[in-house]
Amino acid sequence: MNIENTQSQMRKGILEFCILSIIRRGEAYPSDIVEEMKSANLNILEGTLYPLLTRLKNADMLTYRWVESNSGPPRKYFSLTEKGLAFYRELETTWKELANAVDALANRSEKISENP
Amino acid sequence: MKKIININFHSRVIPIEETAYDILRKYVESLKKHFAGEEGADEIVNDIEDRFAELFSDRLKKGATCITDADVNEIINSMGRPEDFDQDENTGTNGHGSSRASSTYAEETSAEQPHRLYRSENDKMLGGVCGGVAAYLRIDSSIVRILFALLTLGFGTGILVYLVLWVVLPPKSMVTNIRKRLYRDTDRRVIGGVASGLAAYFNIEVWIPRIVFCLPLIFGILRSIFRHVWLDFDNSFSFITNGFSGGLTTIYIILWIVLPEARTASEKLEMRGEKVDLESIKNTIKSDLEGFKQKATVVGGEIKQRAEEFGNEMKNRSGGIRKDISSMSGPRNGIGHAIGVLFKAFFLFITAIITFALAMALIGLIFSGGIFLPLKGYFIQGFWQNIMAWAVLLFFLVLPVVGLLTWLIRRIIGARRGSNYLGYTFGSLWTIGLICLIFLAASISRKFTTRNGVSQEIPLSAPANGKLIVKMDDSKPFYMDSDWMGMNWRHRGPFFEITDDSLTLNTVRVNVVKSNDSAWHLQVQKLSRGNSSAAAGRVASQINFPVEQKDSLLLLARGFVITPDQQFHNQQVLVVIQIPVGKKIFLNGNLDDYRWFNINRKWRNNGIDIDWDDESDRGYDTWDSNTEYIMTEHGLERTTTGTNSNPSDREEDQKKNSATDSTKKNSDYRYHKPKTAAAVNAPDPVNNMNKKDPESTATLVLLTNLS
Repeated sequence: MNIENTQSQMRKGILEFCILSIIRRGEAYPSDIVEEMKSANLNILEGTLYPLLTRLKNADMLTYRWVESNSGPPRKYFSLTEKGLAFYRELETTWKELANAVDALANRSEKISENP
Repeated sequence: MKKIININFHSRVIPIEETAYDILRKYVESLKKHFAGEEGADEIVNDIEDRFAELFSDRLKKGATCITDADVNEIINSMGRPEDFDQDENTGTNGHGSSRASSTYAEETSAEQPHRLYRSENDKMLGGVCGGVAAYLRIDSSIVRILFALLTLGFGTGILVYLVLWVVLPPKSMVTNIRKRLYRDTDRRVIGGVASGLAAYFNIEVWIPRIVFCLPLIFGILRSIFRHVWLDFDNSFSFITNGFSGGLTTIYIILWIVLPEARTASEKLEMRGEKVDLESIKNTIKSDLEGFKQKATVVGGEIKQRAEEFGNEMKNRSGGIRKDISSMSGPRNGIGHAIGVLFKAFFLFITAIITFALAMALIGLIFSGGIFLPLKGYFIQGFWQNIMAWAVLLFFLVLPVVGLLTWLIRRIIGARRGSNYLGYTFGSLWTIGLICLIFLAASISRKFTTRNGVSQEIPLSAPANGKLIVKMDDSKPFYMDSDWMGMNWRHRGPFFEITDDSLTLNTVRVNVVKSNDSAWHLQVQKLSRGNSSAAAGRVASQINFPVEQKDSLLLLARGFVITPDQQFHNQQVLVVIQIPVGKKIFLNGNLDDYRWFNINRKWRNNGIDIDWDDESDRGYDTWDSNTEYIMTEHGLERTTTGTNSNPSDREEDQKKNSATDSTKKNSDYRYHKPKTAAAVNAPDPVNNMNKKDPESTATLVLLTNLS
C-alpha cells in the first residue's frame, strides 16, 4: 500500500465530476479545461482529458460543435446535454455527502476509546 | 545540423526536424496502441493530434522556423505518455450512462480488491472470461486463450467451462496488467525473430526454440546419413518426420506473420516483461487462498444475489418479450443478452470446428504427400501440368488453411498491426490456384475422353479332369507389401507396388461365359482410355498381363505394370474364360483382390465420374469366389460340392442377385465389345444369371414366407 496509489485512487474518482462542473458553466475547449483545473490546483494531463471527454460524449453526457479558430485547425467546444446535467446533479449530491462525511471524520478530534 | 522535413499534419504543412518527427510518430503510435481496445479510439487520437497541430502552428506563428525535438518533447510532456495515463485514469472505462456508475465508484474506492476472478470488460473477445483469468493470474491473455482453445479442441470441455464462467463471473473493467506479450525479437533474429521472441517470452535460452524449429533439418541430415544403414526404418519413419517438419514449418511461418515485431523500447520491455513462471502464479494463487473462506462467502452471496436478480429480471420480462426485441441490442439485458451470447458462442464453436477440420486436412495432406507423391508422375505430364499441380496444391489447398489459422491466431492474441495487403495477396493467390485447378482438371480429363481396347486370344488346353481352377499368382513376393501406413493397402485400392519407375495396377476382372463349341477359350481384353481412340488403343496394347496354364490350374498375374511414360489412363484387363457345357470351374478367393473401377467422362457436366465397383458393374461378377461351378446350357450353376458351403451367405447373395435383376438387364457393356466371332456368339454373362435355377427360386420363396 503506497501513498501514490491511494492518492490516484482518490483523484480518479472525482475527475469526471470536476470536468462536468467546468463544462456546466459554458462551452469549453479542452485546453481551457486543463487551465481551469490547473488554476484550481488540480493538475491533469491533457492526454488523460481527451479520452475522458470522448467517453463522456459517447455516453451522451456531452455534445460538441466545431468552432473555427485563427491559430490552427478548428476546435471542438464541448457542452453538457440534458442527460449530462442530470448525471452531474447526481454526482454533486454524492460528492457533497462524501465531502461532509469525510470532513466530519477527518476533523473530529476527540478520542474514540475514551469511554470503553 | 539537422534535416528538416515538411509533413502534412491535419491538413497543415509543418516543417519539422526529422528526429522530432520520429519522436512524434512513435508517440502517436504508442497512443494508438494504448487506446486500441477502446470505443472511439480513433477519435481520441485524432483529438490529440489536432491539439498537436494547433500547438505547432502556434509556435510557428510566434516566429519559430521549424518544430524541434524540444518542442515535441515539451508538448508530449504536457499531454502525458500512455504509461502516465494508466495511474491517472482508468475510471473512464467503467461504463457511464448507467446507474451503476456511482456504485462502481463506491466499490472501487472503498476497498482494493485486485484479486478476485472477474470477467474482463475491456480485454475480451467473447465474454471476457479469458481476459479475466489472465488478469487474475497476471499473464498474457493470449496464453489463456490458446489454452482454452486447446481444451476445447482437444477435450471439448473448454467451451463448457467457458460458458459456466461466463454466466457465473461478474463483469468488471480492469487494468490490463499484462506483464508480458509475445513479440518477434528482431534484434536477435536469424530468420524472422520468432524463436528469439519465444525465448524472451518464456525466459529460456534462445537456442532451445531454435533447436526445436531446426529439428526437421536435423532429422533430414540424420536420415541421409543413416539411409543406407536403416533402410526399413527410414521408409516408415519418413512419413512421421514429413508431417512433423511440415507442421513445424507451418507454425513458424504463421507465427512470423501473426506476431508483431518488438520495435519500441516499451515493446521490448513488454516482451521480456516480469518473470512469469509457475512459481509466481502459484504465489499469486496462494496469497489469494488465504482469504478464501471469507471470500467464498462473499462470492457465494454475490452469486445468489445475481441469480435472484436474473430471476426477477426474467420474470419481469417474460410478459413482454416482444417489446424487448427492440432493446436486444443493449449490452446486457436479460433474454436479449442470453440469445446474443448463445449465437456468438455457436458461431465461434462452428468456426473452431471448421478451422480444426481444415487444420487436420492440412496435416493429412502433408502426411499423405509422402505417399501420393510417387503417384503424381502417372497423372501429371509435362512442365505446365506440373506447374499447375503445384500451384493448386500450394495456393488452393494449403493457403486457405494458413490464412484461416493466421486470422484466428491474430484474433486470439489481439494483434493490432493489421496489414491489408496480406489479405489481398492471399485472395489473389487463391484465385490463381483456383484457375490452375480448373485448367488442370480440364487437361487431365482429356486423357479419359474415349475408350478403346485390344483383344488377345490365348490358347487354353482342356484340363485333364474337366475342371479348371483359376487363381491369382501370388508366388512372387511383394516389394511393398500390405503394411503401408499401417493398413492393408493391397485390399484397399487399385494402386499397389510402386517402385521408382513402375506402378502396378490390379484393375482386372474375370468373366466366365459358355463356350459355343466344345473347346476351352481364353481371351485377355486390354482396355484403356485416352484423348483419342487411337491413343487409347496404343496405351492398351502396351499392357502386359501374363497368364499361365499348368494343366488344370490357370494362373493370372497379380496385376500389370504401367510406367510414367504411359501415364495412368485407367488401364483395365478383362479376362474372359469360355467353358464348354458340362465342364467345371473353380475361382480362388484371392481373385477378390482385383479392383475394377470405371472412369467415365460425361460431356454433360464435363467432369470425370469414377465408379468403384458400383452396383451395375457388379452384374459382371456372375460368380462367387471359392465356389465350384458347372457350365450348363443355361449358364453357370453351382455344383453341390461347393467349398463355400455357408448356406445363409449363399441365400443372401442369391436374394440380392434376383433383386437387382431388373437393373442388370438394363446395364450395358462398359468395355469395348470384342470383334472375334467367339466373343460375339458368346452368351451374355449378364443374362445368364437372369434365368434362375429352381433351387434358388425355391429358397427365395421360402425366405419371403418366413419374413
